[in-house]
Amino acid sequence: MKKMITAIAASVTILGLAACAGEESTGGTQVGGTQEITAWAWDPNFNIRALNLATEIFEGINPDITVNVVENAQDSIIQQLNVMMSSGTANGLPNIVLIEDYRAQVFLQAFPDMFFEMSDFIDVNEFAPYKIPMTSIDGRQYGVPFDTGATGLYVRTDILESAGLSVADVTDLDWDQLIEVGLQVKEATGLPMMTLDPSDLGIIRSMIQTTGTWYTEEDGITPFIEGNEQLKAGFEVFRRLIDEGIVLPVTDWSQFVSGFNNGDVWAVPTGNWITASIMAAEDQAGNWAVVSQPRLPGFANSVNASNLGGSSWYVLNVDGKEAAAEFLASTFGSSIELYESLLNEIGAIGTFIPALASSVMDQEVEFFGGQRIFSDFADWTQQIPQVNFGLHTYALEDILAVAMQSYLNGQDLDQVLRDAQAQANNQLN
Amino acid sequence: MDLSRSIPKALSAKKKMSKQQLAQTMVGWGFVAVAAILIAVFSFYPMIQAFYLSLHSGMGNNLQFVGIANYLRLFQDATFITAVTNTFTYLIVQVPLMIVLGLVFSVVLNRPDLKGKGFFRTAIFLPAITSLVATSTIFRYLFGQQGLVNMALLGLGIIDSPLGWLTQPTLARIAIIIVITWRWTGYNMIFYLSSLQNVDYSIYEAAKIDGANAIQQFFKITIPMLKPIILFTSITSTIGTLQLFDEVMNITGGGPGNSTLTISQYIYNLSFRWTPDFGYASAVSFAIVIMIVVLSIIQFKVTGDKK
Repeated sequence: MKKMITAIAASVTILGLAACAGEESTGGTQVGGTQEITAWAWDPNFNIRALNLATEIFEGINPDITVNVVENAQDSIIQQLNVMMSSGTANGLPNIVLIEDYRAQVFLQAFPDMFFEMSDFIDVNEFAPYKIPMTSIDGRQYGVPFDTGATGLYVRTDILESAGLSVADVTDLDWDQLIEVGLQVKEATGLPMMTLDPSDLGIIRSMIQTTGTWYTEEDGITPFIEGNEQLKAGFEVFRRLIDEGIVLPVTDWSQFVSGFNNGDVWAVPTGNWITASIMAAEDQAGNWAVVSQPRLPGFANSVNASNLGGSSWYVLNVDGKEAAAEFLASTFGSSIELYESLLNEIGAIGTFIPALASSVMDQEVEFFGGQRIFSDFADWTQQIPQVNFGLHTYALEDILAVAMQSYLNGQDLDQVLRDAQAQANNQLN
Repeated sequence: MDLSRSIPKALSAKKKMSKQQLAQTMVGWGFVAVAAILIAVFSFYPMIQAFYLSLHSGMGNNLQFVGIANYLRLFQDATFITAVTNTFTYLIVQVPLMIVLGLVFSVVLNRPDLKGKGFFRTAIFLPAITSLVATSTIFRYLFGQQGLVNMALLGLGIIDSPLGWLTQPTLARIAIIIVITWRWTGYNMIFYLSSLQNVDYSIYEAAKIDGANAIQQFFKITIPMLKPIILFTSITSTIGTLQLFDEVMNITGGGPGNSTLTISQYIYNLSFRWTPDFGYASAVSFAIVIMIVVLSIIQFKVTGDKK
């Protein structure tokens, strides 16, 4: 019996999973006249560099506040925020945190007391309107909108040429037309068109947004899967990409990046935050161009512009919040200078409208054969159909990933989507 | 027998306990208390709290009392059922495979005439001390579309085109099983090896004289002698498999679809990946606890250990 008790005791250690807390460091610390605030973000090539640039500018504005920039993986940030916020302790929380737009509403609604309102610190009208619904609740602005997730189709011009094609042949297409081009290039060069992670439906997300449709109805809560014709069309395109043999299957980010950096694929349809990673392959300089995102075939209201990713800054309701709000207000909230250096240094396109008019936006980028990629992205940003991401993007997407698997295995698509709808209704009640 | 006779003695001694004896007893209890309090605070209190939490549902901190609704929801939750099915698939295929492999390795490595024993023992045990996340990441690359496994199989002419190890459901499950087996076989082997050291060699000699061959010796002597330790390893392996998380999280992320999703990963997803519902996640945690208790009881019964 004793052994049994030991076995039971050992078995319940699984519950420890719910109790794993992060590092202990208080948000804002006051040392003499200077104050230190902490900011968390992910992606050293993009968000962290953006924070560092902002910190440099802020030193000239208020040297009494220093910003401690901490890099954490996005998953780890979400996990730590969830654990600490639900435990109700402010200990260990940073002052500023970056949250992806798809997840923002979950945090704002699940932990409403943990965020510091920014309405008085920034002018909401100065930011791209599509960012506002996901960064605010009931008209109270919490987030400082950061990068746009405007998508484009990055293509290798040299590979297209060796297949007897040009950039014009891939411009303003729909997905069916792009697949035809993909088949031609595959026949001429043997190269697959793009990488595809069969578990990652991000590409479907961007396809249906070209028509202003989402996984949920307009309330952002009710799952909209069964009878969602746009979603169904997205599934069909996804399957066709695989069936036609023009994709290179990958399972993670690094394989995705090495796919185009090594020249294994010739097209990358994704958000503009990938620019820095594309430009990392210096030997491919001059061989890239960006054209508009393909439309969803069969829908008249589908546009050649969409969104994928994008995130915003939030101030947490812990000690040092005023200093943190001041930092964000005078950098990401108002500094055209910052947005210019963001463009020059890391190719990051913000959603701060006064900065979009800056002349830096019109610069020709050598890597892309002198194309004015930033002003192109700015144009596409204007055309992105607004949707309400709501609360459940990732929960629904995981349900849909299962549905996709059944569909790829040959099950009837209508039935698959019906099952997914039932599962979603059950899970998200 | 001895124990039952000594009890009255002990009781009578207790009555006449002197001050010094009392102090000694208190010191003893003091030592026990440290461990007991730590276990209570860090193990039992979270358990109770988690059970309390499992009776609630809601987003983040906005929790409402829902009674046993979370537990009823488990039975209709297709994702939970998929996770349980996957986990039991790993359990049924992987645990016996690993135990048999571990036994074979330990018997081979226990041969007195084997050369380079230390090297082989270390080599097989080594995976057990490596970091789970690091090895998982390496295996993810090995099993990639253009990874070493595919390249080797292509080079040997066994396959014509690269296999989607991590993108096809069945292959992905096989890959996960291979990784767990690689990781834990050596760990279990050490238990068998150490208890084999305690088996008196004269038993084997006697068996040999009676004409038993190697296979008979293995099944009639080695296995019965190792029975308690096989029981122990099968219970710990069962528990370990039911809690499987790191490997799947880092190699496939539960995909493709949910075909490699484990229960622990589902708990993680419910808490951190999707809209946080800690109440339901706790209910799933308790489902694992119940499964482990039931499985452990079955294992005790099957192996007939009455102690």
